[in-house]
Order: sequence, then C-alpha cells, then structure tokens
Amino acid sequence: MAWIGQGWDKAKSAVRRVYCWGSVDASVRFNFQFLTTMYRTLSSLANARRIWALAIVWLLLPGRGPALASDSAVDFSRDILPLLSDHCFQCHGPDQANRKAGLRLDQQSGAFAESKSGSTAIVPGDSQQSAVFQRITNSDPEHRMPPVDFGKPLSRAQTQLIGQWIDEGAPWSGHWAFQSPQVPPLPSVLEGWLTENEIDRFVHDRLRKEGLAPEPPATKEALIRRVTLDLTGLPPTIGELDDFLADDSPHAYQRVVNRLLDSARHGEHMARIWLDAARYADTHGLHLDNERSIWPYRNWVIAAINGNMPFDQFTIEQLAGDLLPEPTLDQRVATGFNRCNVTTSEGGSIDDEYYVRYAVDRVETTSTVWMGLTAGCAVCHDHKFDPLTQKEFYQLFSYFFSLTENAMDGNALLPPPTVKAPSAQQASLRQSLTNDLETANHEIESIVTEVDYVDPLAGSQLGPIQEAEKVWFDDELPAGAKPAGDGVPPWRLGSAPKHPVYSGQESSVRSADRLSQHLFTEATDRLAIGAQDRLFAHVYLEPDDLPKTIQLQFHTDSWEHRAYWGLDRGHAAGRDNETNHHMGDLPAAGQWVRLEVPVALVGLKEGDELDGWAFTQFKGTVYWDRAGVVSVTPLAVDQLESLTIWDQFRQKVKHPALPEDIQKIVDTSSDSRSEEQTAQLSDYYIRNVHPPTRDRLMEPTQRRDDLQKQLADLNAAIPSTLVMEEREEPRQAHILERGEYTLKREEVDSRVPEWIRPPLAEMPANRLGLARWLMSPDHPLTARVTVNRYWQQFFGIGLVKTAEDFGIQGERPSHRELLDWLAIDFIESNWNVKRLQKSLVMSATYRQSSRVDPDKLAVDPDNRLLARGTRFRLDAEIIRDQALAVGGLLVDTIGGKSVKPYQPEGLWKPVGFEGSNTSEFKQDSGDSLYRRSMYTFWKRTVPPPSMSTFDAPDRETCQVRRARTNTPLQALVLMNDVQFLEAARKFAERVLTEGGTERDQRFQFAFRSVLARQPNPTELRSLTNLLEEYQRDFAADPSAAEKLLTTGESNRNDSLDVQELGAWTMITHLILNLSETVTKG
Amino acid sequence: MNPLRETELLETRRHFFGRSATGIGTAALASLLNPDLFASSSATTAAGGLGSVPHFAPKAKRIIYLFMSGAPSQLDTWDYKPKMNDWFDKEFPDSIRNGQRITTMTSGQERFPIAPSTFRFQRHGKEGVWISELLPHTAAMVDQLAVIKTVNTEAINHDPAITYIQTGSQIPGRPSTGAWLSYGLGSMNQNLPAFVVLHSTVNGGFGGQALYSRLWGAGFLSTRHQGVSLRSTGDPVLYLSNPDGMSPSMRRRMLDELAVLNRQQYDEFGDPEIQSRIAQYEMAYRMQTSVPELTDISNEPENVLEMYGPDVKTPGTFAANCLMARRLAERDVRFTQIFIRQWDQHGNLPADIRRQCGIVDQPSAGLLRDLKQRGMLDDTLVIWGGEFGRTIYCQGSLTKTNYGRDHHPRCYTKWMAGGGIKPGVVYGETDDFSYNIVENPVHIHDLNATILHCLGIDHEQLTYRHQGRDFRLTDVHGNVVRDILA
Repeated sequence: MAWIGQGWDKAKSAVRRVYCWGSVDASVRFNFQFLTTMYRTLSSLANARRIWALAIVWLLLPGRGPALASDSAVDFSRDILPLLSDHCFQCHGPDQANRKAGLRLDQQSGAFAESKSGSTAIVPGDSQQSAVFQRITNSDPEHRMPPVDFGKPLSRAQTQLIGQWIDEGAPWSGHWAFQSPQVPPLPSVLEGWLTENEIDRFVHDRLRKEGLAPEPPATKEALIRRVTLDLTGLPPTIGELDDFLADDSPHAYQRVVNRLLDSARHGEHMARIWLDAARYADTHGLHLDNERSIWPYRNWVIAAINGNMPFDQFTIEQLAGDLLPEPTLDQRVATGFNRCNVTTSEGGSIDDEYYVRYAVDRVETTSTVWMGLTAGCAVCHDHKFDPLTQKEFYQLFSYFFSLTENAMDGNALLPPPTVKAPSAQQASLRQSLTNDLETANHEIESIVTEVDYVDPLAGSQLGPIQEAEKVWFDDELPAGAKPAGDGVPPWRLGSAPKHPVYSGQESSVRSADRLSQHLFTEATDRLAIGAQDRLFAHVYLEPDDLPKTIQLQFHTDSWEHRAYWGLDRGHAAGRDNETNHHMGDLPAAGQWVRLEVPVALVGLKEGDELDGWAFTQFKGTVYWDRAGVVSVTPLAVDQLESLTIWDQFRQKVKHPALPEDIQKIVDTSSDSRSEEQTAQLSDYYIRNVHPPTRDRLMEPTQRRDDLQKQLADLNAAIPSTLVMEEREEPRQAHILERGEYTLKREEVDSRVPEWIRPPLAEMPANRLGLARWLMSPDHPLTARVTVNRYWQQFFGIGLVKTAEDFGIQGERPSHRELLDWLAIDFIESNWNVKRLQKSLVMSATYRQSSRVDPDKLAVDPDNRLLARGTRFRLDAEIIRDQALAVGGLLVDTIGGKSVKPYQPEGLWKPVGFEGSNTSEFKQDSGDSLYRRSMYTFWKRTVPPPSMSTFDAPDRETCQVRRARTNTPLQALVLMNDVQFLEAARKFAERVLTEGGTERDQRFQFAFRSVLARQPNPTELRSLTNLLEEYQRDFAADPSAAEKLLTTGESNRNDSLDVQELGAWTMITHLILNLSETVTKG
Repeated sequence: MNPLRETELLETRRHFFGRSATGIGTAALASLLNPDLFASSSATTAAGGLGSVPHFAPKAKRIIYLFMSGAPSQLDTWDYKPKMNDWFDKEFPDSIRNGQRITTMTSGQERFPIAPSTFRFQRHGKEGVWISELLPHTAAMVDQLAVIKTVNTEAINHDPAITYIQTGSQIPGRPSTGAWLSYGLGSMNQNLPAFVVLHSTVNGGFGGQALYSRLWGAGFLSTRHQGVSLRSTGDPVLYLSNPDGMSPSMRRRMLDELAVLNRQQYDEFGDPEIQSRIAQYEMAYRMQTSVPELTDISNEPENVLEMYGPDVKTPGTFAANCLMARRLAERDVRFTQIFIRQWDQHGNLPADIRRQCGIVDQPSAGLLRDLKQRGMLDDTLVIWGGEFGRTIYCQGSLTKTNYGRDHHPRCYTKWMAGGGIKPGVVYGETDDFSYNIVENPVHIHDLNATILHCLGIDHEQLTYRHQGRDFRLTDVHGNVVRDILA
C-alpha cells in the first residue's frame, strides 16, 4: 500500500498550499473543492488513488488558482511574468510616461540594473539583496509594494514564489506568445489509448501526467450530429444519418467529414463566425443607424471559405485587396472587412474626430483578429502590460488613416468609396449584352458608312409652311364630350364684361384653394394629332388671386399627357417628363396669353387622337378660353430626301425631339456654319431623317435601344458595396495625446512594431505591407491566434481561453506545445484552413463521448484538459436554422441581400430616430422568412432579439469570442417565438407525412430528425402519455388546435387532421425545447 | 478577487439555483459545485452577484433613473441666470467661450446672440432654490432633492454623449450602468430581471433622438446582465405570452414533461448546464405569471394614481412608466431606467420645453411622493437628467419669445434623491452664462461613481477583466461627490 502513503504526502502538501494561498488568493471554490475532495478521500479509500490524483490535477490547471505548477523549478514566463504584469507593470512596465522611480520590470536589463541609489531590483540568486523582494515583503505597509491604494496586493505565496525564482537565479525569458513557435517534440502514442492524429498525442500526454484518461468514442449518432453542426451549422438529415450508420468501413467518418467540408453550407457557417470578427451588419451603427449596403462582402467571405482560400490570401485580400497589383473586383470587394466599422453622420459632428475614431477601430480590429493584441490600450498611453508603445500604436493607425472615405457617412446606403459588385450571373449577362450592343452599333455604323448621299434637291427652296389652326372647342364643347370637374356645376362659364373673355361669348372660370380642375372626356369628335402639331389654349390669370400651378391634361386612352406651368403642384407631380412636362413659369397675369404645347413634349405621336382635355390649377382664379391644335403639314417624302429642304423646314418648325446642338446648327445660317457643324448636321440627317437609310437602320437601332435599356436595368440591379481606397495624398498621422484628436504631437508614419517581428525586407509602407508582414511565416502571433480561434470554435474554449488577448495579461495556453504544433503545421500547409479543420474533427479527442464524469467535472469543470468530448449550447443562429431545417422550411439560397424575418412588433419605433430609414421594421414574407439566420437584417442599435437573447453580439465592435449564457429569456424565445412555433407546426406535418404510420415510428422520426438518435423506452413512454393528453385536450376544444396551427405565414397541410396535427405540434414543440436540442454534445 | 475566477463562481451559483429550484441533483454533486450551499441561508441574499459586492453597507438597494434623452435646457429649468435678461441679443463673449469647440450645427452661424430664458423663476423649499415655472410639482418636492448644477461631459453630440454617460465611454462596446449593477450586485428578485428599461411616448408617439440597445447593453459582460425592455404594447417582456391555442395548463404539462426528459439527459450525461436550463424554464414560467401581475395596475388606488397625473392610465406614457418603476422597485428590481425623448430643442425651444416639462414634471414628483409615503425613498435612489446641457447663445433666429439652443457639454443640471443622498442640497455653481463651471464640477464619471457609492460599491473595485485589463464603469476616473451624500 505504498502508493497510498505517497498519496497522502502529496495531499498534505497540497493542503499546506491551499492554506497559505487561500488567505487572499484562492477562491471560495478552491477551498471548498479541496475539502470536498479530502472528504471523499477519507470516506472512500478504495477510490483514494484516483481522487487525490484528481485533487492535484485541479491545482495544476492553467488559470485555475495559483500558477504554481509543480514541484519543479519556477517557470518565469508561466509563473512570474503574469505576477509582475498584474501587480507591477502599471507603474514599472512599458508605459514610459507613467513609470515610477525609473524602474522597469518588463525587461531584463531594467530589472537587473543597478539604480541611481545603488540598489538593484533583482539580484539573480539572492532574493535578500534584491530590492524588489525587500519591497514586496516589507512589513511596513507604507513601504510595501504594490502600494495599498493600488488595490492589488501580492499574497504571501506569490511573494515567496518570486523569492524562489530569484534564488533559483532569476532565469529570464520573454512572453511566450511574442516568440516564434518552435516545433515541439511529438509525444509518443500511449498504448491502449485511441489515437487518431498528432492532436491526440499532445492531449493524451497531458492527461496521462494529470492522471486522467479520455472517454470512449461518442456513439455514431452523437458524432455525426456533432460534426455536422460544427462544420455546417445544421443538423444531419435522416438520410445522412442512415448512410453513416450503414457504412461500416473504417473510412465512414472521414467520408462524412469530407462531404461536410465540401458542402456549400460549410462556407456559410464559417462565414457567419468570421462576420462577428468583421463586425458586419446592415446599418451604420451610430446616430440615425440607417441601412448600408455591404452584403456583397458577405458573399465574398462565403465564396472564399467554400473555395478553401488559403488564410494568407484571405487575409491579404481583406486588409489590402485594393493595393494588390491590378486588383480584381473580388479583391476590392474583400476590403469591405475594414469598412464594416460603425460610422456616423450626426448633425454637429466634427470630421477630424471621426477620421481618428474610424482608424482607431480598424487598428483595434486588425490587432485583435490577427495578433490577439489589445492594441486599443495604447491609444492614450504606452500599453501597460505589453511592450506596445503609444507611438507604435499611431504607426499602425497611420496605415488606416489615409482612406478616401468621408468622416460623415451621409446616412447613405453607399457611403463612398464603393464598387459595383455583380454576381457571376450578372457579370456574364452584362458581358453578353455589351457584346450584342457592340454588334448592333457596328451594324448601324456600317449601314451609315455605306450611304453615299447626294442631295437630290440641292440648292432648291422650301415653299411656305402649311399651318392650320383647328379650334376644338370655344363656347361649345366638341360633340359627345362629357364634362366633369370639382364642384357643382363642374364647369362655370362667364361672359363679358364681368369676366374676361378671349373669343366668343364666354370663358370658363375656376377659383380654388387647393388642387382643382374641370375637364371633359369621351368626345366623339376626336382631335387628330400630327407629329409636328402644337396644342393650344388661352388663359387669363387673375392678378389678385394667382394660382401656384396651371396644368393642361390631354386624354387619349390615358391621361398620361400633361403640361404644367409654375410650381410642381398639379397632378402627377414630381416627374417632369412626357407624362407631366414642365413648360416654365406661370404666364403673365391680367391678360390673355396663348399657351402652346408641342405634342412630342407630352408623349403624343402621329396618329394619336384626343377625346378629352382637362384644365387644372393649384389655388388661385383662372379663366380659360378657345383651345385646339395647330397642325403643320409635314414634308413630303421626296422633300424629306433632301437635306437642304429638311434643314429649311426645321428652321421654321421646331421639334422638341431634335437634340439641342443640332437645333443650334439648324438655327445658324448655312454659310456661317463651320465645316464640322455641316458634317455633324449631315450625319444627323442621314441617321435620323433620310428615309431610305432610316428604314434600313430601323431594326438595328431598335435592337440597340433595347440592349441599352436592358444594360441600364441590369446596371441598376447590380449591387454596390463599400470598399477601401487609399487617398493619393496620404493624411499625416500624429501621436495623439491621451488619444484626443485635437492634441496632435509627434508626426508618425506607417510602421509595424518591430519587437513583434522586424519589417520585411521589401515592405511597402501601406496596408499591403502590413498584411504581408502579418502573414510572414515567422510572425509569432498570426498563426497561433488563428488556429486558436478554430480550436475554440470546435472545442468551445480556445487552447488560449482569451482568444482576443495573447498578451501578457492573457491566459496562458492550456496546451502550449499543441498550439505551437498546430500553428506551424498550419503555416507549412500553406495556410490550408479546411485541412486544419479536418485535423481537429478527425482527432480522437474531438470524437470522445461528451458524458460528464462527476469526478472529472469536479477537477476540470470547463474541460480544459479534454478528458471528455465538448458540450456547449449552440449559437443563436444554429438554434434557429436547426428549427427551420427540421421544419422543412429552410430556404437554401446562398448569399444576397439581408432579409427581415419575424420579429415582435414595435421594437424599432420606440428607440429609432424619426428620420432614419430603419425606424420602422417592415417584415418580409415568403422565402425571406426562412433564410439562414446569417442573412437576417442586422440593425446594430436594435439587433434581432431572438439572436441577441442567445448571445449574438451587437456587431458594433469586433468580437472573436461569444458569451454562452443560459437565461429564462432564452426559454421564452424557444417557447413562444413565432418562428419556433411555426417550425414545430411544419415539423409535425413532416412527422405525420414522412415519419411512418405507427406512433412509435413517428416519435423515432421526430427524435432522429433533431437529435440524430432513437428515443429510449422511457422517453417513448413520456411522449406517448403527453401526446394522448394533448389529443384529449384538442378533442375537447378543437378550435384551440385551429388557433395553434395558424402560427406563422406558411400554409397548413389541409389533408391532415387538425386535432392530430395540433397534438403532434405540441410534441415537436417540446422536442425543439429540449436541452439536448440546443446543445452540441 | 480575480475577476475571471469570480465569473466562474457566478456560474457555479447559477448551477445551484438551477438545482434548488427543482429540488433535484445529488447532494454530493450539489455541494461539490456550490460553496454557498452551507454558507448562505438568508432568503434575501441576492442571486448572481459577486461575493465581494457590496463593498460597504449600501444606503440604496435600487435605482430609478429618469433619463431625459436629447438634453433638456438647464437654462430654462434649473440654472437661473437673471443677469442674462440685460444681455438679450448681445454677442456671446469670446472671453467666456475661450476657444471651446462648438458643434457644426452652429459653428457656421455669423452671430452667437444671447438668448435669456423667457420663463419665470421662483424660490422654493427651505433652501430657497430657484426653479423655473415649468416644474411646479418637482419644485414642491425640492426639499428631497440634491440638485447638481455642474454636471459636465466632453461629448458634444447625442450618440457619443448618451453612450458616454450610460457606459462610461463614448465609443460603443462597454457595459451600461445597469449591467454593472446586475453583474456586481445580482438580482433581488427570482421572477424578474435585475435591470429593466422603459420607453416613453410623447403625445402618443415616439421620435426624437435615437436610443441604442448598447445604452442598456452588457458590453463585454455576460449578456444576462443586459437591460430587459418592459414594453407598453404587445408582450410586456418579449415572447412572454403563450401562442393562441395553448392554454396555461397545456404549457404547464409541456414544461413538466420537458423537465422530465431533460433530467433523464442529465442523468445520462451529467452536464450541469442541463440542470441550469431546467431552472431557467421554471423561471420563464414564473415570469409568465409575475409580469402580468406587475403590469396590472387595476388595484392601484385613485389617490395614488392621481399623484402621477392624468396620463398615468395610458400605457407607455412617462407617467405610466413612473408608476411602473415604483411597482418594479417594490418587487426589488435593482435598476429601472425610464427613457423619454424629444428634449433636443435646437429651435422653438420655449414651446417644446413647456410640453416636455408638462409631461415629466408631475409624474417625477409623484414618483418621489409615492416612494416617500411608502418609506421606500430611503433605499431607492432616483436620478433625473439628460446627456448634456444647452447653450446660452441662440441657435437660429432669436426673438423675445422664441429661440433655440445648441448642445452644451460644459455644464448642466441633474438631480438625485433618495437612498444615500442628502436632501435639500444645491451643489455646484456655473458662471452668469451657464457656460463654465465656477465651483464644484461633477464630471459624469463622478456622477456614476456617486451612484455606485449609494449602492455600496467602490467604483474602483467593481472591475471586470477584459482584453487583459480590469475595466470599470468609471474607466480610470471618477470621484464620489461626498458633499451630496446623506
């Protein structure tokens, strides 16, 4: 029984440790934990060996209680540096401006140097002679370090640890994460332990040392659900499940993994996670929080991931795609990454302040995502813990300070710079239309070139123009006309001398305080229109009661032929085109004025006939009289064949369709025209007037016009997106005192912090240089930070828990060698992301059962040692997508503009700015209700509630780690949100139509659809009882089932019995609420 | 205590509550996970807070914060400047402005003419505090108030300013005051959130400067600390109501069976999160009954309703929200914040501020009176005010009866009353132009430090480690304003 004694010794020494640390440092749980363990040790000697081993393990856990790791020598980077950082660096660290007593403890040279007073902070090998040790152990609180009012005292154990380290020679090394990863020796495979790849060897090595063993593999059902959720964000279908269960080959699982990695769903799922880091959203975020369009960037991310773009390229294109040589459209779209930051256009804002804020945000985001560096701390002063100086911060800032963007976003959908970003389909359509257009133009030109025009009537003179005025109505309306108008009678007529009258006996009169009119329609005596004609009417405005607007409207088969004078307050306001043409100011008042409207201006053509006419005014008093048409006899065909004759005709009879410059040439006497003008006129004539040529051009011209319209429509439909673009003249960056934009100090240029990694030999001082520097293979941070984020995604917690902070204050890695191994492997694979992900999910560590052994839970509640498979609540988006998927509702369209599925009414209005275009929520319908959640419209100031309730971030700032809470509000969402109830209803329909005819078969179908496993007999019993109860409920009150089944907009399957469907909906609703359903286990 | 570890402790407590609420789980495991099981037996112990908070005996248990969004003019309400009557339409002196930046809304103006307030001021209360005619009901309660005339901030526009006062930073991303309180102190009520937000209608509609969910958000704290909106239309709490066709008894049986199935899962997998989820469903169910009971005011006696004024029966009004705040306070909700917008009076200020004061005056005073008569004002802290002040110089055209005022960050007035606050105090003084502070400035960090102090919190000690740094509501600033403490 020697091992028991040995155990006791260790346990006793652990007790001592607990007591001396517990005074200040260890948490209540720490003490309690240990006491419980001790209790168990005493009460269960049979199991003693395991228990004390567990107790010791607990002490050794990273980040758990004190950093004292083992009886071996103190490790500076692991044990001492964090203490110095947390307790000393505030005053004796990198921040030069606030350094006290000139003492610097974050560098070996500073810590070991002799001060002016002759003392030495640290004398290696001699703690008693070391000023640091003297001060931290000083019994006088006045002199003891850290100062009392600093509020972070060192515990006795911690001071002793520092003393021990000094006595051991004070070995010094830098912070682990700032040194390039080294290939670690690969631990050997443990016999009898299932090992799939290198990951397991590292994990097992640690487990063995801690006296733990892994769990057996998860069931095939659990495994396929886990890996499908992890790689695609959706549950496996029953077909996929059955295929896997039926596949007995050793490669069955690998085949599943390959299939999932190749699935287009994979790219969406991974993109959604990346968009947290990119702070992607559909609104500006500040003040008005208007909509903005950057979703083509989201499309880019999905496509890049699905194409397995190497991570270095993925990085370079997002940070600096615009600066690559001859960047492709995709590379420019990729730069949307750093246009996703929040922006403002609040009235009163000062530009300079926001240029600074935007650049600061981009530095913080870029540093967090690629380097795990909390650069933001150095906005106001040198970083307190990491060696990043304020100057270095503003050197990084300089990279992002010279964009062509405006400080104020103008509350615009597309604040510049932007690019048009057609889809592949749009791009190819645009190409083919452009080609066709070229062909049409070519045909036109060759026809024109072939014409060898000789004027048959050169030198002859045009005779007098034939004009005839036809009065359509004066005192009498035309035959058949049906008069109408506001007021009774609709037309008021007056005679002289009381009324002004232009001709005949009477004129019409109308006084109005708003928009008002009189009119007639259905005249049988119709007014025929010729191409050159002018409609006319006479008007008299009452000088003492001027209208704002007068308007004539002409009726053919519609009223879409209008002309107005004065303000645009008539019918069809806001157009100024042929349906309502603005003729100019109001005519002079107090006199009769003849108004003329060339028919082409109001969209009338040769052969049209008028059968109605309206006199309209906005306010004022207006008299009308004598109206009709001036018809002009057009040129005969033989005359038209003469440029000379046509030229003379057009001098006298203007045509509104004639381009202004041509009209100008026509109006210039022929001998004063330049040669160029003569040629231009001739060219115009041949193309547009000369009858034989015009006939030949008819078809290709029509085709060209159609193509131009199609192209214009297509261009209007092509989305634009926000991109990065560098100013030609860079904006000078300065160090800003306390981060204040007004307090400019020393000028700085774009440079990288050399202590992380020296600049590259060839490195442009722009974002492209920065991106390449980040992706250089010996950069100590990028690869580690990146693989750690993927680890976090699959295992719930990163190897470094603080995925956003790899600095000195960040958590130490739980498996540093594994992290380094993965990082180096990732770089050597040419940054192959899918390969990395595959290696994670292929590991035996990933494939373990997630059963939680109480003993393991006691020693390792967060499962940092990975002695079991990971379990955690699914992300908000997966929970909703899963419900839509099993309900058969999910629409699998990839990409595109964001959609607005259900959300409770009245969320935006109470908080939105009145003038904002997102102050009112307008829900979409149809397919848009059932898209994947990553396409849900994200209004930053009011994020979609069912998402934020499940910890989706607000997307105002970069997030690389989501919280995972468990709250009653989440229960309410799953209980009552219409999208979950609707999904349950449609899921129940599937159960009844696809799940077989027997009750138990149906339960099995329902369970397997969501949980990928069969219900056990107890569960079946529970569900059966419940189903019968609900069947009875709905039999007693059938209308209740009817009501329940109206939830959501999708149709109900009418062929199913309402009561039965209602009862099954309650069952599927219950299943969607199971803890297991919202958990990846 | 190391904040990281504190969070873990929090999780552990949560597991405990999950278990105790349903009475399941083995005792051994429970004790293993829950150090408080033996330590704490008091039923009044707050759930979910940090063990180390409060740091000292609190004077106030809860807060009601009446937030005037858009920034009320201090010149027309609380900061009486009679000398300005002689300055009508005179140019605002450069010597007073002293080069301070002004917003781009007025920086293009050719003139900065002084606009004296058109409102009459009178002395009120034992101290003879000057208060404008716009606030007669509040004036009657002035002996309960500490009026601070020298609140100041650096932000000059709404979005950064309101984000600043609510979260301690002008830039989005930090936790709001209520979230800090929830994190530090936890909840005193098992059936309601610790932090509730109410939005008020103005003349039946909303509108005005935008509000943002970050103003009651949790920032980098756990999202469970974020404020929960209590709505006046639809479900008071989102997703509270069962769907049509699902009776309460059907819901109850569904939840019972859900618990049974979840427990089986727990027995198989041993994951304490499952226990916690069972408990959260139970709390959700309790909320389904406790929230309607909360929002049903049919039992409020007429004489109480009258205190809040005629709007009190119209849901969503400021008056109705003030009454709701008292009901929430009675149920020990830690932090209730009422927002009312439309104080942003760049033009037409006299008419608009008269309307706004008419809306808030009686309900604010009624709330104080109602709390006092119930003995609750002693341990409830009430705060009134906006995100910054307004300028003495006119924005737009100035007449004897009409003017507008631009944003002014350098001084403005807020009042506090109740738990921990010395009643009947006027604190701080501004110059004749209400432009600069003459004595006793109270920066918004000082204000927030003082608010935390009333709740027994040392604002320097309530920290959360994020990105390697210990963050606090007051950043690295803030001094408790001891002169206004009781």
